Amino acid sequence: MEKILLKNIHKEDSFKIETYLAGGGYVALKKALKERPDDIIQLVQDSNLRGRGGAGFPAGLKWSFIPKDPTMQKYLACNADEGEPGTFKDRAIIDNDPHLLIEGMIITSFAIGASSSYIYIRGEFEFGASRLEEAIAEAYEKGYLGDNILGTGFNLDMAVHRGAGAYICGEETALLDSLEGRRGQPRIKPPFPAIAGLYGKPTVINNVETLSCIPAIVEKGAKWFAAIGPEKSPGPKIFGVSGHVERPGLYELPMGTSAREIIFEHSGGMLGGKKFKALIPGGVTAPMLVEEELDTGMDFDSLAALGSMLGSGGMIVMDETTCMVRVSWIINKFFSHESCGKCTPCREGTTWLTKVLYRIEHGEGNAGDVELLDRICGNIFGRTFCPLGDGAVMALRGCMKHFRDEFVYHVEHKRCKVC
Amino acid sequence: MITLTINDKEVSVEDGTLILEAAKQAGFHIPTFCYQPILSRLASCRICLVEIEGQRKLQPSCVTPVMPGMKVQTESQDVKEARIGVLEFFLSNHALDCPVCDKGGECELQNMVYKYGPKKGEFTEKKERFHEKDYILSPVIVKNSNRCVQCLRCVRVCDEAVGRTMLGPMGRGAHQEETSFLKSYMDCDQCGNCIEVCPVGCFMRLPYRYRARPWDLKSASTICPYCATGCRMDIQERGGEYIRAISKFGKGVNSELMCARGRFGFDFLNNEDRLTKPLRKKDDGTFEEITWAEALETIKTNFKLSSPERIGAIISARNTNEEFYLLQKLMRTVLKSNNIDSSPRWSSDAVSAYVTACGINEGGTSIADSIDVDTVLITGSHISDENPVTDYLLRRAFDTRRIGVIIASPRAMKLDSSAQMTLRNIPASDGTLLKAVVAELYTAKPEAFKGVTGLTKIKTLDSATLSKDCGVALDDIKATTGKLLKSDQISILAGTEYLRFPESLEGLVFLRDALRALKKDLKILPLLDRCNQRGAWDMGIHPAFTPGYEALEKEGLGCDRMVQAADDRQLDMLYVICENIAGLYPDAKYAVSALSKLKFLVVQDVFMSETAKLAHIVLPGAAFAEKDGSFTNQEGRAQKIDSLLPPPGEAKTALEVIAAIGRELDYGFGPSTADEVLAEIREATSMYREVEIDTARNDSALVKGKPAALRIADFLGKKRFDDVEAENKPSLPVPVVKVKPLSFKLVTGNHLFYSGTIARRSHTLRNLVSGPMVEVSVADAERLGLSDGDTVRVKGKYHEAILTLKSKKGSRDGIAFIPENFTEVGLNRFLKRGEGIQEVTIRKI
Amino acid sequence: MLTEETKTHIEGLLNKYKTRRSAVMPALMHAQKQNAGNLTEEDMREVADYIGLNPVVTNEIVGFYTMYNPLKDIGTYHIQVCANLSCSLRQAEFIIEYLEKKLDIKSGETTKNKRYTLTRVECLGSCGTAPMMQINDDYFEDLTVSKVDEILSNLD
Repeated sequence: MEKILLKNIHKEDSFKIETYLAGGGYVALKKALKERPDDIIQLVQDSNLRGRGGAGFPAGLKWSFIPKDPTMQKYLACNADEGEPGTFKDRAIIDNDPHLLIEGMIITSFAIGASSSYIYIRGEFEFGASRLEEAIAEAYEKGYLGDNILGTGFNLDMAVHRGAGAYICGEETALLDSLEGRRGQPRIKPPFPAIAGLYGKPTVINNVETLSCIPAIVEKGAKWFAAIGPEKSPGPKIFGVSGHVERPGLYELPMGTSAREIIFEHSGGMLGGKKFKALIPGGVTAPMLVEEELDTGMDFDSLAALGSMLGSGGMIVMDETTCMVRVSWIINKFFSHESCGKCTPCREGTTWLTKVLYRIEHGEGNAGDVELLDRICGNIFGRTFCPLGDGAVMALRGCMKHFRDEFVYHVEHKRCKVC
Repeated sequence: MITLTINDKEVSVEDGTLILEAAKQAGFHIPTFCYQPILSRLASCRICLVEIEGQRKLQPSCVTPVMPGMKVQTESQDVKEARIGVLEFFLSNHALDCPVCDKGGECELQNMVYKYGPKKGEFTEKKERFHEKDYILSPVIVKNSNRCVQCLRCVRVCDEAVGRTMLGPMGRGAHQEETSFLKSYMDCDQCGNCIEVCPVGCFMRLPYRYRARPWDLKSASTICPYCATGCRMDIQERGGEYIRAISKFGKGVNSELMCARGRFGFDFLNNEDRLTKPLRKKDDGTFEEITWAEALETIKTNFKLSSPERIGAIISARNTNEEFYLLQKLMRTVLKSNNIDSSPRWSSDAVSAYVTACGINEGGTSIADSIDVDTVLITGSHISDENPVTDYLLRRAFDTRRIGVIIASPRAMKLDSSAQMTLRNIPASDGTLLKAVVAELYTAKPEAFKGVTGLTKIKTLDSATLSKDCGVALDDIKATTGKLLKSDQISILAGTEYLRFPESLEGLVFLRDALRALKKDLKILPLLDRCNQRGAWDMGIHPAFTPGYEALEKEGLGCDRMVQAADDRQLDMLYVICENIAGLYPDAKYAVSALSKLKFLVVQDVFMSETAKLAHIVLPGAAFAEKDGSFTNQEGRAQKIDSLLPPPGEAKTALEVIAAIGRELDYGFGPSTADEVLAEIREATSMYREVEIDTARNDSALVKGKPAALRIADFLGKKRFDDVEAENKPSLPVPVVKVKPLSFKLVTGNHLFYSGTIARRSHTLRNLVSGPMVEVSVADAERLGLSDGDTVRVKGKYHEAILTLKSKKGSRDGIAFIPENFTEVGLNRFLKRGEGIQEVTIRKI
Repeated sequence: MLTEETKTHIEGLLNKYKTRRSAVMPALMHAQKQNAGNLTEEDMREVADYIGLNPVVTNEIVGFYTMYNPLKDIGTYHIQVCANLSCSLRQAEFIIEYLEKKLDIKSGETTKNKRYTLTRVECLGSCGTAPMMQINDDYFEDLTVSKVDEILSNLD
């Protein structure tokens, strides 16, 4: 497949505007600015582009919720708070092809009528943040940002806002709170950001990868995009493969490519030729898949049908030596560490889960602990304020669904079954 | 109206009602932690989750509004399990040190677990512990984070109602705890609302810690004895000692909110210096204990010796309506004297004019109505310090409903942050400022002013000159005018500066009449600083009117004229109830000298005041928690107070003493119980006839009156301490003092922690104030090279004092504020009768 | 004390957002940078004052976001090693143990000479190049023991 999202990243000085322009950059913007904003929203709706941040919400539909009142201040916020363990795709674009994102954001802002836009980047990406700032400065310089962009009368400001270490800020309303200078905690919905977002104004929040798809859609059309991969979740997708494979890394492939193909063809197979045990298909929240499920297409609907999810497309591959209790403990520790503390079930539940998992993993499990885990999961799931707590439960339940025997073994024998 | 079913019961509720409230109306209780109707919504505790047909997940009933046809289950299996699940989570890291927790027995978590479960805990892990020792956050606030349930009510109440933002959630997830900046000692309003809203034993009262279990306490429902906001509270005692005051959600105008004075200032009741026996002054000037019979006999003899015009009575505005009524009845019907008044701080003429200008005689205006308008103008009051809970109620309304607020005050205040405009006028120029606004209103719409009283004067007003006189830029006056013109509903909140400087009332009346002429829906709410000041006036504690504001044919003497008459030896006998004339009359030297000339001074009080020291007979009195009766707050809301303990020793309520004196003089004098007196009040004045003096139904508790029984023209034009007629002056001169370098105009009022005679005797409140202070603007402090906490010498024409300096950001320059009531300072020693505002200099020592 | 340079940074930030409050996070980060990765009480107060917030707000912010180090003693080089799943699968624990031994400190501690602080952190978004660590602002990926030695010896 022709690369869309990662086509520039290996070029020399790929991050510079000259390189980007030489590769046909900002052509889509010129084209878009000649269209009516509503037509661009329609185009993106027709393309069936679904959000690449994890939830897979149709991007064009999200944009269409923004009020049409031209006198109203609107915002675009790019979610570059990439933090779901196993996910490292956005950083590649930010570090190496920032103008792709910027162009996508300018077009999106034009479509929704935003005159101000922010890129919320996780604080640890110091390098990426400075790359973006340099690129934004270049774009201002060339007249792609600022007042009267390319003489069309469209104005747009863009700035980078750095997070400071909180996974929850990847949740769109927590991101807005953080951008407003507060502790990043999710807000009550409704109102949704499209009605009352940043500073109480209509706001679209899209992931880096989602926005980076926009220039290509504008340039090549909705039909072209919709034809890549499965009908209901089309387009190119960056799969980030990590863990026990020979060639971890990023692979841009059509949506729906099978997990098996990605692991065994593109990523060079299992590390050291060991036996495959499990795959987390889309960041640690996504419930695990086992060997017999590997032929599933990596797209939103196919994975949902299996009770898992595509999430960010960050694939963590584990071989036969992996202790699943330890994996669950590591994942849960992450969620309890990142729980914002707002709602009770997530704050107290994830902490409790982690403590029980720690004990089981460290040979201090008691009879009934596995059932206790089930019960705690039951008290968290569906009762939290935002999806973080649910995510913790999905991850643990996903693991216990396939490897419950390892948990039981740990409790009974006070040691690991596999290592 | 929206119809839905809750637990299969059909319910109709207002559009926009939350499921939680709808369930309550239908008789179903849903437990809550983070929900607090007056605060912003969180939906974080998840205890109120309910099942809604067609929804995949349980929904928080505290933020979900009802929809037509919705089917809600609040007690389904799923809901019950979720509820128990949440409670189990709460308990998992909760300290569970209930045996030593002050909250035990009245803890929301404890009660909820008792009611719903879990019956058994499965949490066996090590609990998160934040600390071993409790944090002492202030002289009154102590905190134990190990008991916190993260409802954030404390943080929200501090930020959203009190307006201080002293508390915040520190840390994240299970490591989050709500404390002050780096857990440091808080220099805050010390209101303790964080304690009151806390559902568990996380925030606690330091003075109450480990002192009682709630079931050992006896309580009575009463009204706070400090300012006239009229906050309802329960006062509680154990073993004869007053130990706690609590406010309750949904009770009174204040609901759960109170200020430091109300919540912690009740302990003056326990003060060891309370008067317990009647005293008689011996020839050597010392006091001897006597019996009540002896005391009453002496009083009777002296009353009989004097002629009616040579007898006077002054009662403080902290007594009950029943006591007021009976006192004026004694004076008017038995002693035939109209020499009655309530405060030495301002003249009775000022009161008459203020009552009329604000329409106090026309019946009550509720705070709720006063802030349900387009624009609120606050003038003549440092509301944040004088009426703290009114400040909280306004802040919440202003911030949530985006009401336009204009504050005119020389001194900056906390509520400024909610205001669209703050006007920093010269002290005592409030009326000049309003006149400038009236002049602008007239310029904008002269045709509307046809037939307005005082139009001839209004026409001569020149906004430019007036703007200069009040020290507010003409542009700001124009902006104020613009806002008023654009608003349909306006309310004016007018404070006690209008009583201290009654010349200003002319401006208030002009503005009132102008706005009415402009067809604005106008409300005026007086802001008063004594709990029953309005009740005193309603009950005819005034030389010129009877209960219900019927003007008297022959006016008696007000406090000022009584002092003057005493000085001229025209007054023989003065009966003072709980009022400290020597300590508050705005010329200490003059007052003491005048009172000393009296043939007979009888003072009933709870403490030996400066005035009591001058008395021939001192009677031990009762304080609010020892009395039954009613108070009428600044809104005109009559509220019942119940007694908790009898007064100490042989002390008696003023009601008992007035009745006893009355019977000594006239065998048939009565009635003598609060209930009987109230019945007679209802007979005597239509204002109180229909009023429900009832703790539960507050809405019908506003007094009703008839329009303008008193005419403003009768009172305007009298200066503060003399009778100079000023009819012909175009606008009454405000005492304008040219400010020399290093020279300040001395202004006064109440301190947030300290507002009168009784506050001086509260150990807890005294603990909150480092000592007598003088406050200037930050800019002035810098100019003088002074910083907060410096000891300074404040020198006036007649007095000087050593004070601690405090600076305030945003205040007008050239003003020195000294609170009215510090015994150590004697603010009234700086003042001279008839001289108005004094100038002082401030120097560092 | 906020330096003039930090104040200039903060002043610049105030123009970037619609509200002053939005600048609080980056402002605190500048204050922390100025003190080599440590945030002092005084600076938290000063930032709050500069922006016009109650100090409690800066306290809330620095307590919520893990990249602030209020009242801590972070060394010249803050070594943060990812211990999350992808890195853990690629022997991150081994790297952490090696660093603990080499620096003679436990993770969470600072060496006596204040040169190094070692912290075990959650995912840094570099899973395809695991194991990895961040030293101050820079990422170091595909770590091996010899690579760690080399990186440390090349510092300053």
